[in-house]
Amino acid sequence: MSKDKEILDNITEKEYEHGFVTNVEQEFIPKGLNEDIIRLISAKKDEPEWMLEFRLDAFRKWQKMSVPTWAHLDIPEIDFQDIIYYAAPKRNEDRPKEIDPELEKTFDKLGIPLHERKALAGVAVDAVFDSVSVTTTFRSALAEKGIIFCSFSEAVREHPDLVRKYLASVVPVGDNFYAAMNSAVFSDGSFVYIPKGVRCPMELSSYFRINASGTGQFERTLIVADEGSYVSYMEGCTAPMRDENQLHAAVVEIIVEKDAEVKYSTVQNWYPGDAEGKGGIFNFVTKRGICKGSGSHLSWTQVETGSAITWKYPSTILKGDNSSSEFYSVAVTNNFQQADTGTKMIHVGRNTRSRIVSKGISAGRSQNSYRGLVKMLPGADNARNFSQCDSLLIGDRCGAHTFPYIENANKTAVVEHEATTSKISEDQLFYCNQRGIGPEEAVGLIVNGYAREVLSKLPMEFAVEAQKLLQVSLEGSVG
Amino acid sequence: MEKMVVKSNDIVRNVYILDGRSGCCSDDPLLPSAGVPLAGGGFPQSIVVERDAKVEIVVLIMPGVSCDLKMDVTLAGEGAEANIYGAYVCGGEEKVKISVDMHHNLPHCNSRQLFKGIAGGKSRVDFYGKIIVAQDAQRTEAYQENHNILLSDGAKVDTKPQLEIYADDVKCSHGATIGRLNEEEQFYMRSRGISLEDAKVLQMISFIAPVLENIHDEAEREKVSADFEAQIRNIIHNN
Repeated sequence: MSKDKEILDNITEKEYEHGFVTNVEQEFIPKGLNEDIIRLISAKKDEPEWMLEFRLDAFRKWQKMSVPTWAHLDIPEIDFQDIIYYAAPKRNEDRPKEIDPELEKTFDKLGIPLHERKALAGVAVDAVFDSVSVTTTFRSALAEKGIIFCSFSEAVREHPDLVRKYLASVVPVGDNFYAAMNSAVFSDGSFVYIPKGVRCPMELSSYFRINASGTGQFERTLIVADEGSYVSYMEGCTAPMRDENQLHAAVVEIIVEKDAEVKYSTVQNWYPGDAEGKGGIFNFVTKRGICKGSGSHLSWTQVETGSAITWKYPSTILKGDNSSSEFYSVAVTNNFQQADTGTKMIHVGRNTRSRIVSKGISAGRSQNSYRGLVKMLPGADNARNFSQCDSLLIGDRCGAHTFPYIENANKTAVVEHEATTSKISEDQLFYCNQRGIGPEEAVGLIVNGYAREVLSKLPMEFAVEAQKLLQVSLEGSVG
Repeated sequence: MEKMVVKSNDIVRNVYILDGRSGCCSDDPLLPSAGVPLAGGGFPQSIVVERDAKVEIVVLIMPGVSCDLKMDVTLAGEGAEANIYGAYVCGGEEKVKISVDMHHNLPHCNSRQLFKGIAGGKSRVDFYGKIIVAQDAQRTEAYQENHNILLSDGAKVDTKPQLEIYADDVKCSHGATIGRLNEEEQFYMRSRGISLEDAKVLQMISFIAPVLENIHDEAEREKVSADFEAQIRNIIHNN
């Protein structure tokens, strides 16, 4: 037993491997958040007047809002005036087309290829470093099909009509505290537009990296899939190891028109803090999509292993008749991490369907909660939902919680929810050991089997990474 | 507040019927009400179960009754067991609110909750149930189920089953559904000469039967079933 524990301890103690800092010359703006700062950010990005107005409106709304406290999280007080809201690597003015070699090295180290020839065939990448998008690959190949994939700032400049039409149409400016803050100070992110009837030939991917100290990252992603189109989008993130807590407050909006399909996958691996719970990223994210047209489909897949605190509920509004949505999640917490994550499925249209599969794994002294809402509005005739939320506990000092909210106001709509909480049983471990599989491997095997249903939904490139992450995050935690 | 303490090694089995007639509950929506159990005494809002003791509660909320039932059950000794069963049938403008907190404070305790209900008319049902397993409450087994049937578009059911678990060696689960009467079953019965109305009555009676089964006194159980059947027939007429 003690040997098992030792092995488990070893596994869980494995350090964060993306914790390095890149020495690149950066420019910062002063700390704090006020109208002048917002004007400064907007000016730095050469934004049109309407964008500045949008930010100021959001800021005024934000000032009247208070920090949400309903989550099952213990969040230390955050001084929003003590954060730098904009940090960018200084550009080499002579050669603006080239990527700074230091930056390139950083992304290489993280396994994110920025050079197209070296790139994994079939993945276009938008890399965001602190507050700016560094580069976006495969632009021309995508442009041939009419697909727009660029940084958000570029979209504001070059496709203002599209941005104005869709921005804040799914997550209104005053939606919640962190969404309002993001709307006021967001710096960069990705913009995707897939035209009518186009099937995006490659996976699109954004990679977010926080590097500078004392800053926060506030990116904004907007994905629009026009009628009958298809896109698969992946998002990854890492940050250096620091004793301070850094804030990441992003907003993701997805619009799915008639018969279109969007697949959104995330592997979230922000720095989780050290074994004593010091440092780590506060990940307070608002992600929401709308299945606007009939027959549209939106699928969320997330693997959450990082962040000191996660507060994140990717949601879908099923507005179009016959539209459908899925949410697959694996959330792993270890040491002193806290996660309160889940989804919302709002059924508005007829014959809408949704499916939720959530697998929580908590180890160490962490707290892992699933929180989800399934709501059937009176017009959601024959709507259907099925939710399955399982929690796995590893160690006797952690917690696993399930808070589903189910509301039904339509007599033909059917909602089902089930949840279980258990630990890896000694029988299962014994069975493996008896067949020559060591305790450590056995735990890996069982956890991977437990999360398989979700992992199998990830695009191939991500699935490999996620499986490794899972193994690393949990190494040594079975006692 | 009515408080019940189940002493070590005792077994308590109570049935509470909220039918609006016994003066036990208010017809005003969302007012706390206290049912009169068959065994005497008011509806316990707080129950403490001591070592190796067992409590079994059946709560029946008859049509026409609005209520705000709150229960707080604490399993305060090793080997304690609590089983809570509830059924509700609403056909008009009832507002039924039920909340149960089940605290597992010590190891080797078991609990089971089963709540089943039918909502028609313009009724409104809110169910909240939480299982809280403390860090030291190893070897806990706790289950909770809440199943609902919606009969009309005017009715609304919200359910919030929750698990808050701080111990690892546990088996806990909850399940919640909100759905409708199965049409294939109805077709099966109608093709065998049973009228649609009778088919629905049978479906609804069998839906809440798993709750009624826990009334151990046979005469009482039959009386309650007959009561429910008559009321359900009424509701089907009006929906």
